[in-house]
Formats: sequence, C-alpha cells, structure tokens
Amino acid sequence: MSNVLAIKDLAYKQNRKTILSNVDLELTTGKIVGLLGENGAGKTTLMRLITGSAKGKGAIEVSGDSEIAKRKSHVSFSEQLHGFSNGYKVDQVVHFYETIYPDFDHARYDAMAKFLQVDGTKKLSALSKGMKEKVVIALTLARQTDLYLLDEPFSGIDSMSRKRIISSILQWKPDDATILISDHYVTEIAPILDEIVIVKDHGIATHIGADAIRDEKGMEIEDYYESLYEDGGDADDEI
Amino acid sequence: MKFDDKVPIYYQIKTYLYYDVLTGKLKPGAKLPAVRQLAVDLTVNVNTVQRALTEMIAEKTIISQRGKGNFVTEDQDKLAQLKEQLVMSQLAHVYDQLHRLNLSDSEIVASLQRYIDQKGAPQDVERISD
Repeated sequence: MSNVLAIKDLAYKQNRKTILSNVDLELTTGKIVGLLGENGAGKTTLMRLITGSAKGKGAIEVSGDSEIAKRKSHVSFSEQLHGFSNGYKVDQVVHFYETIYPDFDHARYDAMAKFLQVDGTKKLSALSKGMKEKVVIALTLARQTDLYLLDEPFSGIDSMSRKRIISSILQWKPDDATILISDHYVTEIAPILDEIVIVKDHGIATHIGADAIRDEKGMEIEDYYESLYEDGGDADDEI
Repeated sequence: MKFDDKVPIYYQIKTYLYYDVLTGKLKPGAKLPAVRQLAVDLTVNVNTVQRALTEMIAEKTIISQRGKGNFVTEDQDKLAQLKEQLVMSQLAHVYDQLHRLNLSDSEIVASLQRYIDQKGAPQDVERISD
C-alpha cells in the first residue's frame, strides 16, 4: 500500500487569522476516510488546499506529485454547481465536464446517473437539494482519479437519497482510489469508513482506524468523536 | 443492514453471514456473493468485508477458490461446530445478564423452562387462529 496523499507541515491563514497549522496527514490507497470536525474547523479549506485552489505553506503530494497542475489531475473534488447558471441543463454540465476533464468516463457517469435516477434533461434550477447532490456525486466519481474529495455530500439531504448516494459510492469507488468524505455528523457514514481524521484546533487531532475505535476502545465512533470535545477544547468561534 | 456502532463491523459481518449459513440461506457448498456486492448489500466498505472473509477463511468455514470466489464449507463437523459456537455465545450473554440479577444456575434453568412454557402457549393459540 502506497500513499495517495502526503501532507507535511501545512499552514494556512486567512486575513492573518490561522485556519490550519502544523497539519501532517498521510492517506494510503484504497480507503474510505471520514474527515470530521465542527462547522468552520477547516475541513473544506483542507480540501481546497489539497486540490490547489487554496495556497498555504508546507508540502502537499498527491500520488507523488507536488506541482499543482499534476496534483489536480489526480484529484476529483465535489465542486458544487455554483459556476453554472440555473438555466443550464444537467446534460450540458455533463458535457462541460467531459470537455475539460480528459479522465471523465461517460459510461461510468451514465451508469451512476441511472442508479441515482438523475434526469439529464432537467434544468439546474429545477433540481431538489438531494438531486443536485446526486448530480455532483455522479460527476465527481465519473472522473478516474486516485483521490476523491467529497465535501459534506449529505448535509441537508433526506435519508433515502443519502442511502442511494452511499450505495453508489460503495459500488463505483475504484479499488485503488481513496475517498475522503467530510461530514460533521458521523453516525450516518460510520459503517462505510476505514479510517477517520478529526480536524480540531487548527490541526489534525486524530487519525485512527474506524474498527480500532470499536475494537480497542469499545466505543461508538460518534461517542469517541464527541469525547474529544469534552475536555476543554478552545471555544473561539472561527470565521 | 443495521449495525451496532460499538462492535467492530467486520465482526458483525461475520456473524451476519454465519446466521445465513446456519439458517440455510447460504447452503453448504454455496457460493458467496462477490466482495463488492456484499459491501453494497450490507452498506459497508469493501475492505471491511474483505477482513471478515479473511477471518472466515482462516476459520475454514468458507473456502476460497482462486479465481472462482468463496464457498461455504461442506464439512458437516465444521458447520456443527459453528452452530455450537453461535448458540453458546448467545447463551453466554443471557447467562451473564441473569447472573447479575443474582440468580443461581438452577434458578436460571428453571426460569428458562418457565419462559419456554409460557412462550410456547400463546404461539400455539396464534397458530390455531391462523
């Protein structure tokens, strides 16, 4: 097993305020990893630093490449569809993805879209929140990359949609690829995780195997996660 | 499948599959679904399914045939042993709980007998009314 992601001594500030500092993180290939932390803890920022759309200090390597252009080609990030006007149809967005990403696999997209019951003829403005997220997931996983970053794919989504999305992740995840999923509510994804990474107090508080928590500590992941906050985390509100 | 998040998932997958074997849903010699299919069916991750299967192969309750898949053992002794294990682990749990209520061994046996007698009755009534 080799590293798909290696971060060393990463720091990021916004308006002179420290968002992340001394971040070290290594992820191996073929895993599903939960990125947990409170709202504003820096989960999205960490993902944007990995893709290179935010720049910090320190070293980030994805599949051995540190240069941003190469790194980007190894990473598929679940961009929300903000860049597209609401009049766009789903199929037009798919076409756009196909044009800009050489690794976009149309057959894979079609299979996922069918499974998730996405109607390509609909305009973005006509999509429910759950349906929009399904489109985002299908677009993100249709690229053939080493690392997938899914930023809170389940926030504000009904349980039926959530289950479908989870199934599609399990079904279409390439064997050697690693998926990092951020969430602030861990119970809904706990059974599918290999490992969890907790972002707290500007850094990585823990990186541990999911079954290690159950096996060695005899705890539920949620209880373990909450226990990190009980003994006096700092209370300053970020952002 | 619903999981108890306090118990390692690979262990729960093992128990789940062993129940399928002992209830006859998976017959001796039957082929298990592919790893990814099991992962999707149970909504767990592929690596966790693999870990459960690796342990089952080590326990020789399933046999891995290279390139063909995993099959339930046809060894009747092995299956009887597996059943005994599951029965004992269920009983261990009940026994433990009852012991904590300060019941003696003979009281536990008597309670179990009473429970079976009482439970047996209403079920028979239901069966008649069906």
